[in-house]
Amino acid sequence: MVIESLLAGADGVFVGACKRGECHYTSGNLHAEGKMEITKRVLRMAGIDPARLRMRMMSSAEGNKFVEFAGEFQKDITELGPLGKPEGIDKNDLEVKLQAAGKALGGRKIRWVTGKIVEFTEKGNLYGEKFTAHEIGRLFDEIAMDEFRLREILERLKGKPHSVKELATKMDTAPKILVRQMADLKKMGFAEIHSVVGNTPMWELSGNGETAYE
Amino acid sequence: MSKQGRKDTVNGPRIGVFVCNCGTNIAGFLDAKTVADYASGLPNVIFVRENLYSCSEAGINDIRQAITDNKLERVVVAACTPRTHEPTFRAACEDAGLNPYYFEFVNIREHCSWVHKEDREAATEKAKDLIRMGVARAAYLEPMEPIIGDVTKRALVIGGGISGMTASLELARRGFEVVLVEKQKQLGGLLRAVNWIYPHEKPAAEYVKGLVGRVGKARRIKVLKSSEVTEVKGYIGNYIVSVTSLKEPVTAGIIILATGAEVLVPEGQYGFDSKRAVTQLQLEGLLAKPGTRPKNVVMIGCVGSRMRDRLYCSRICCMTAIKNAILIRKKWKSDVTMLYRDLMCYGIKNESLLMDAKEAGVRFVNYPDDAPPLAEKGEVKVTSAILGREMVLPYDLLVLETPLVPAGTNEALSRMLKVPLDEYGFFLEAHVKLRPLDFATDGIFVCGTARWPAGIQECIEQALGAASRASTFLESGRVKVEPIVSFITEEDCRGCGLCVALCPYGAIELIETEAGEKARTIDVACKGCGTCGATCYRGAITMKHYSDEQLTAQIRAAFEKE
Repeated sequence: MVIESLLAGADGVFVGACKRGECHYTSGNLHAEGKMEITKRVLRMAGIDPARLRMRMMSSAEGNKFVEFAGEFQKDITELGPLGKPEGIDKNDLEVKLQAAGKALGGRKIRWVTGKIVEFTEKGNLYGEKFTAHEIGRLFDEIAMDEFRLREILERLKGKPHSVKELATKMDTAPKILVRQMADLKKMGFAEIHSVVGNTPMWELSGNGETAYE
Repeated sequence: MSKQGRKDTVNGPRIGVFVCNCGTNIAGFLDAKTVADYASGLPNVIFVRENLYSCSEAGINDIRQAITDNKLERVVVAACTPRTHEPTFRAACEDAGLNPYYFEFVNIREHCSWVHKEDREAATEKAKDLIRMGVARAAYLEPMEPIIGDVTKRALVIGGGISGMTASLELARRGFEVVLVEKQKQLGGLLRAVNWIYPHEKPAAEYVKGLVGRVGKARRIKVLKSSEVTEVKGYIGNYIVSVTSLKEPVTAGIIILATGAEVLVPEGQYGFDSKRAVTQLQLEGLLAKPGTRPKNVVMIGCVGSRMRDRLYCSRICCMTAIKNAILIRKKWKSDVTMLYRDLMCYGIKNESLLMDAKEAGVRFVNYPDDAPPLAEKGEVKVTSAILGREMVLPYDLLVLETPLVPAGTNEALSRMLKVPLDEYGFFLEAHVKLRPLDFATDGIFVCGTARWPAGIQECIEQALGAASRASTFLESGRVKVEPIVSFITEEDCRGCGLCVALCPYGAIELIETEAGEKARTIDVACKGCGTCGATCYRGAITMKHYSDEQLTAQIRAAFEKE
């Protein structure tokens, strides 16, 4: 819904939640917090200022706080300007990146990790080891990077075949990183070489590439 | 902006919009007529009416009439909060033959006229935005029927202390079967170790004996002693509980949790040895037996409570100490000194008990928070906060006032029943004021010291309350739940089980199908929180009444300003 809002034309999204331990649905606010943390990281990967997403916790009796938070957010987003402008992303690119972000966030890997995160931080994993905020942060960074890149490649290959170099330019990433990712995608059966132009292989989605990676 | 995701006017449902003035509550601060005119231009809207009060008899008749006359398929009311009038308007739809879930509420009072009193124009614009969003969502609403489940007319009570026994007796008295599970060999709980009940001036043993006798005689109560709950399955109306002493599980419509608390054992503090330095509970035992007759008794308050890691006040220790101090003065004629940080004597009778203690010659010495007393070689050294100097008090018996702490079984039970614990490990109710005896999970109730340290009177009050709450469900035999629940599309589900693991209410189960394991929502147990829906990477879970389709339509409409 956050990405949906940005796609619909929002310049920022504010998420209000109950305070810790006061969630009407027991632990929904903690799950939401984890999801917002990873969403920010994916947005950063997409080149979008993560300050455009803000989550604040308050109780239903704290109307004054809501007013304060909403006012602050309104001010900050106004200063930041329209989505894509300060980020230097054009409209088409923005759509591709947001679509990729949405797919990354809705995908299996991120949903599993964010799903389990409350348990990992509150109760510990199978071995009773609790994760620190720092460890979670690093884990999120890594996953956000991997997942977003993968999704962006798939999004971009949808239109037409690309060489790694073309992809790297559009994605502002080093070709050697993408080469490795393309190899992974090939192994998983999501992408294949379409043709070779000169010495450069052109990649396209393989038969099940568009739908299979879920 | 594209119109994608919206139904077009030709094929879309026939929507009626009612803009309420709420007297001057709404119309006084925004331009209701402009808002109503605007609404008539929205997609699919074929009827608009401005009402002085939509919730009044006239307003309701208007809605009913308009549904019939104009064959309305959706009703949007822009008025106040769902908290007050959603049931009113849903009922109006139902009366006119429209499914009540075809009703959409837009709040232009709290969200517009009240909070933007200073800016009429902005309030009007915001009302337009919200109505546009409401209309967009309304097009995607689906009809639903309330979920009705049967309730097994049997209660399971966990814990056979005063709270559990009282609740069981009350439910049995009302004609319901009760299964009472007690961990110990005997019923009675902590009260068995207590000597005297104040203000009844009655030996606790007598009271416990009476209660146990009544429970034993009640033919509707089945007592399972030396038994523990090992597994809880099911949901309100239909819990299936495994107990160690039974081969077959027990089925019950509701569960009352009355597992009580434990007294903190102050190992290593103030020379605690259960002989010369004892807890208040051990003192109760000494007082009940003949023999002991110490010359000097010193009591120390707040041992192990109101400190780091255990910030709470256990509430009942001060009164217990005062009660025992008076008894010692009467029975043993010892010198009694009570060292305290603060005195917690809430309640009408208890305050007067403190006066009685002072009259009986009990000495009270206040010690400061940062300088707890020291006990060594039969002497207590304490700095009096009032005198500001150290006092040395000889003792033959040192009594430590330790708090009630959560029972060790709480964590396991909390996991089994899917009910939360608070930061200290006591059970946490659904709402401290509004639902003090319920858990957020329907059909499970809490009473007594499992929740928080409480006196006998409070335990009884809570037990009667919990029994009363429980009997509302047992009596009707049916439970009606809002159909706003999650729905799992079986073909899309891969049976990974993440939703099952995350559901805070145990409302999703994995079932074996021909196509492998699949998740399925247990409608009556589901609260519609959406945790599962936001977790399913297959998009197999739809939140009814808050579907992606409905919410997306609403979000898109928010930015579709022309």
